Amino acid sequence: MEERLYDLIFICRPDTPEAEIDKLIATLEHAVAERGAKVEKLEKWGTRKLAYRVSKLREGFYVYLALRSTQGELIRELERRLKVTDAVIKYLTVRLDEDIKRQQKLGRRRERRAARRPRKPAAAGSSEQAAAAV
Amino acid sequence: MAEENSHQALAPPSGRPPGGGPRPGGPHKRGKRSYVRKKKVCRFCVEKVDLIDYKKTEMLQPFLQERGKILPRRMTGTCARHQRWLTVAIKRAQNIALLPFAAPI
Repeated sequence: MEERLYDLIFICRPDTPEAEIDKLIATLEHAVAERGAKVEKLEKWGTRKLAYRVSKLREGFYVYLALRSTQGELIRELERRLKVTDAVIKYLTVRLDEDIKRQQKLGRRRERRAARRPRKPAAAGSSEQAAAAV
Repeated sequence: MAEENSHQALAPPSGRPPGGGPRPGGPHKRGKRSYVRKKKVCRFCVEKVDLIDYKKTEMLQPFLQERGKILPRRMTGTCARHQRWLTVAIKRAQNIALLPFAAPI
């Protein structure tokens, strides 16, 4: 399977001690490494206000991970772990590589167009000038 | 309405500025209820955005109503493609409680 990029965000209860969150992150990292995947980014966003109540809580501790994996199985394993952890109130995994591929494709196309533009500016350029002059 | 049309006919074909704005002759004459709508442009196209990040809620916020509903294209002027990406991004953000599904009044 080709390599895929995932975003994994989970929210812990705000009263969880930081050490416990770190421990949870470590176990997740371990599971990631075990399957030959990579943690590209790891960010602790800290305690943020939730947009709506989750498990009767109004705020939560956000942790964000960007993963690069060739095994979709890994995501199932990570989500299973998050589900059984009581401190985690919500999690979300998003597959991002297709979006990023599209972004790169559009970026390349834009570059090509920009490179090609000087060749035939006459028609577009002159009408714009006429419009500006009036 | 006839007044309006005559004004438009007088203007040279390419004479209208591309950004819209008040036309020569003025939009409001002799009590006729008429106004010139400013042409809205897709904000994402202007900034050449190829990927709308669901994590940047401050970027998505302007496209939401006060109560958290997604604003339609006709209000914001977003192009079809970017609106499509935008709704996906907003829904992802809603899922992880970064944005509300429906905010309390």
